[in-house]
Amino acid sequence: MTQTESVRQRNRSGRAGAKQKKAKTRTYMDYGIVFIVVFLCCFGLIMIYSITQYTLAMNDMTPTVYLRKQAWSLAGGIIAMVAAMLISYRFIQKVSFIIYMFSICLIPLVLTPLGRGEINGASRWLNLGGVSVQPSEIVKTAVIIYGAFIINKYKHLLESLIGTILISLVAVVPALLIFVITKNMSSAIVIIGVFFLMMFVASKKTWYYVLAAGGLVGVAATVVHMVNTRKIDPSSSFRFARITAWLDPYADSSGGGYQILQSLYSIGSGGIFGKGLGHSIQKGLIPEAQNDMIFAIICEELGVFTGIAIILMFIILVWRMLIIAKNADDLYGSILVVGVMSHIALQVVINVAVVTNTIPNTGIPLPFISYGGTSLLMFLVEVGLVLSVARRIPCENQE
Amino acid sequence: MGRSKVRKNNNNKKNKPVKKFRLYMHGKLVVLFALVLLAFVALSVKLINIARNNGDEYKRRVLAQQTGNSIIIPYKRGDILDRKGGKLAYSEKVYNLMIDAKEVNDNQGSHIEPTIKALQASFPKLDIQKVRDYIKDSPTSRYKIFLYGLTYDEISPFEKLSAEELSPEDEKAKRTITGVYFEEDYKRRYPYNNLACDLIGFESGAGGVFGLEEYYNDELSGIDGRQYSYINEDSVNERTRKPATDGHTLVTTIDSNIQSIVEKHIERFYENNKNAYRTGPAADNIGVIVMNPQNGEIYAMAGYPSFNLNEPRNLDGIDLSPFMPQEDVPANVSGNESASTSENQVSVNQAPKDVEMFTFTGPDGQVYTIDNDTRGIISNKIWRNFCISDSFEPGSVMKPFTIAGALDSGSITGNETYECGGYLQVGKFQIHCHNRLGDGLLTIKQGVAKSCNVVLMSVAFAMGKEEWLRYNATFNFGQRTNIDLAGEASASSLVFGENMGKTDLAIASFGQGQNTTMIQMATGFCALVNGGYYYQPRVVSEIRNAEGAVIEEKNARIVKQVISEQTSEKMREYLEAVVMSDKSECTGWSARPAGYREGGKTGTAEKAARDGVNYVISFMGYVPADDPQVLCYVVIDRPNHAMQSESTRLATVLNKDIMTEVLPYLNIFPTEPLTEEERAALSESQGTFSDYAGSVSDNSVSENAAVSENAAEGGENTEEAEEKEEGGIKYDPATGYPLDPATGEVLDPVTLRPVNGNASDIVNISLTPSEPESDEADSEGEE
Repeated sequence: MTQTESVRQRNRSGRAGAKQKKAKTRTYMDYGIVFIVVFLCCFGLIMIYSITQYTLAMNDMTPTVYLRKQAWSLAGGIIAMVAAMLISYRFIQKVSFIIYMFSICLIPLVLTPLGRGEINGASRWLNLGGVSVQPSEIVKTAVIIYGAFIINKYKHLLESLIGTILISLVAVVPALLIFVITKNMSSAIVIIGVFFLMMFVASKKTWYYVLAAGGLVGVAATVVHMVNTRKIDPSSSFRFARITAWLDPYADSSGGGYQILQSLYSIGSGGIFGKGLGHSIQKGLIPEAQNDMIFAIICEELGVFTGIAIILMFIILVWRMLIIAKNADDLYGSILVVGVMSHIALQVVINVAVVTNTIPNTGIPLPFISYGGTSLLMFLVEVGLVLSVARRIPCENQE
Repeated sequence: MGRSKVRKNNNNKKNKPVKKFRLYMHGKLVVLFALVLLAFVALSVKLINIARNNGDEYKRRVLAQQTGNSIIIPYKRGDILDRKGGKLAYSEKVYNLMIDAKEVNDNQGSHIEPTIKALQASFPKLDIQKVRDYIKDSPTSRYKIFLYGLTYDEISPFEKLSAEELSPEDEKAKRTITGVYFEEDYKRRYPYNNLACDLIGFESGAGGVFGLEEYYNDELSGIDGRQYSYINEDSVNERTRKPATDGHTLVTTIDSNIQSIVEKHIERFYENNKNAYRTGPAADNIGVIVMNPQNGEIYAMAGYPSFNLNEPRNLDGIDLSPFMPQEDVPANVSGNESASTSENQVSVNQAPKDVEMFTFTGPDGQVYTIDNDTRGIISNKIWRNFCISDSFEPGSVMKPFTIAGALDSGSITGNETYECGGYLQVGKFQIHCHNRLGDGLLTIKQGVAKSCNVVLMSVAFAMGKEEWLRYNATFNFGQRTNIDLAGEASASSLVFGENMGKTDLAIASFGQGQNTTMIQMATGFCALVNGGYYYQPRVVSEIRNAEGAVIEEKNARIVKQVISEQTSEKMREYLEAVVMSDKSECTGWSARPAGYREGGKTGTAEKAARDGVNYVISFMGYVPADDPQVLCYVVIDRPNHAMQSESTRLATVLNKDIMTEVLPYLNIFPTEPLTEEERAALSESQGTFSDYAGSVSDNSVSENAAVSENAAEGGENTEEAEEKEEGGIKYDPATGYPLDPATGEVLDPVTLRPVNGNASDIVNISLTPSEPESDEADSEGEE
């Protein structure tokens, strides 16, 4: 042991020893998560400005419109995160049903005058006092909160197939509502996927999930095959058309394959180290560049190197959450953290997979980075919940 | 650091069995994490592969997509100003309405209705059905222009509509009006419409056509700019704007006021003499040049008919009857409208119905239906500048040139006298004078004043063929004057050469047998009276660049001295006698503007058919007679008159009317006492003459507003004014021209002699064959 190391250890033990007397209630704060989340959010702001300012300026609008909106969302999100962190998650556990029902009630509201009308063929937004809100994002968080409560309460049901199916209704019902009412399949998939992973972790059974996953893959492969061999007419639904575009984006490079091709062009033309911040030439061409396709522009401007660095940040984030989940004071806390962890991981994977044309195109924002107030706010609330769970980890026995 | 904590926490777990987190869950969490990690690694590998394997290709594709955004910035064509700075032609920034169907169709068509609604509200001229069809039928099209040449005021309501839409939320999704763009362009405007149309020419889209627009096309044109983006060596997309270089501005010697005076009188002439003898316009053609004999500057130049420079292809309101192919007129009575068609509808061409036909309405409601080819031929005849492009036999206006050559060469002294017996026997032919009875003993001066052919022939014979030809070449006949206008003819194949015979020389002495253009005659005549200096005639005095700096000054240019000062002085004396002598002693007295001393020469040239019916009458006059400041040359081709050979007064009176208005305008003051009659005539004409002052003279450059206002409503204003004047004349036909007793004769049907008005082809005035033996050669140059 070198001298410095021994000194450090001495210091640490000394500090721990000094604190031990009054450290019974010392709370654990995971600064790693806070740092990564704040970093990703700020990075997102920079990218959003870089992407939108040019187009906005060209259209004679204030170039900072998007930046400012996102910054306000971030400010609100940080406050919400701190609030969620300070509120005991056990309290949230108690009111989880109310939160859940409230969020579900928001979904059909998009059809009322409160909804902002059809945008891109679907009504997905609510206008609440001048603020646009996407109910599906709120439902995602609510399903995690309430789902963890149900799993914690009826854990024994997970041991049977019927019980598992019953419990899964917690996610399936809102997912169906979102799919039917807002025609937002990607959100529905994320909700079911997140809850699936939460159940998977909580349940003793493994083969249910392996079978379910296998079955799902099988169904997906069959659909893809049928579309590919034109047994299903791709033009019957834009979802099938997206599958053909995924299989061969060049076939209809100005139509269905346009967005994905432009995304690939961005990544490819950016190379390993990119063209430099603000120097994307694709940002005017890719639809939703500041939104679902932001990762492609990150790769174009800052290179695949930065893209992988961002992925690495997410891996660390997920890793930190995994640690918290394992050490949570109670099962509810663990499952809650697993839910948040799955949510973040799933969205990152889907988003990057879409951008790289690994899966068919579907609109999922990149957590913390993509433009979109509701998504950012809810992710920060979820992180706040994770931090709240982390705070309750008993550390009196530390060292 | 992360790892140490992990270890720590793991220790925690071991030490604390109370953990709610089950062991199996731990395993599953690790599995979950492993799956996530696997997915991330797979995606990272994919990312690297995209960048490594397709990087170059995608880079190229990205750049290829960028090439579309190169935009041409149009240049502004230079202005054409008159000598006072008034704008005769300028280019106005306009906008073309362009629709991007793809953009309108975006978002499941939610933009279509709001966009179309906004278009409909803002552009009443727009055929909205066409827009709908376009958006529906070619949904991927990105570029189609629907309206051309919109002004800023026309597009601003739409701009406002779409701006209002944008402002509240600034969100892309809110934008319902989309896909409509305005492309910048320039449109050529001629604020005075018809004024100086032959002189100015027009801009056809591919450059200038006719007149100044064509001659100075290179100077007026600028260089298009370009806006484009390129990737610099740092792979950065660089946007570059290369501004357009605007064209140069021409400052001309044209005076809009003089030009409009000239055009007004031409118009009035046509109005008054229409159908006077034969059915049809007052003359086949008419040309007037007003210029400064001391430096060759053209003040005004006009022909007939005029056309609207802003719509050169629209022949509405122009009497096309002289241009219609004659042989088809009776044959083409179409069946559907039998009665009215035969009278009013003149259509050419019985070609199959799929030939596109154009219909134009004449000034008196006649309908002309012509096919495209005929329209092209007619248009070209209307657009061409008679004053420089058409040649004709000048007649007696040529006589001073012969005399000047003879004096200058010493062939005569000017003190000779000649006996005129009414004709001269030249070879086998008797060549007559206007006055067939003969004028007796005449001096040179009297010979000029009375326009005696016998004197002129004698002088020409005294000169001899060589001398005459030498002076003919010296005066530049058969060569272009190099006036800076497009389309000048030289008539070089229509002048006498070495092989001219004696008869040729005889008739050439009084201006028959060889062709000249009006500008050749006017320029040469200037040299005769200004001291012998042949100035190159010019229309442009200065070229300025777009910033207003003078880059070229075009000063008066003396090409040569054609005769001596002394000869010129003598010529002025002779020519003054043509106008200022006693009525019985001269031919041009009726050309004199009251109060001025004018010199000049009349001309009545028999046209090539030599049938004694069709004539070109003309008058060349200058004031003051002893120190010429302004010269006016009037040519009337085949006047609508019972006796064309007696109708020279039409030209002299036209000259007088123009001079009467132009002289005071140019600050040339009367020097002679007015008689009571003249005073009465002047005050009579005061009302009709003053009309023009208001409509044109106010338009100086600085008053842009005035100019554009004129552009908008100038045409109508002018018409109204014109009608008023006509009205005045109609009510007062006898005193309208009190000094012109000829007017009554012309209109009096009692004196008509049976004359075949349609006999000759007026388009080409051809040279008389040079072999006099084979020709009748009973040519007459009269008055």
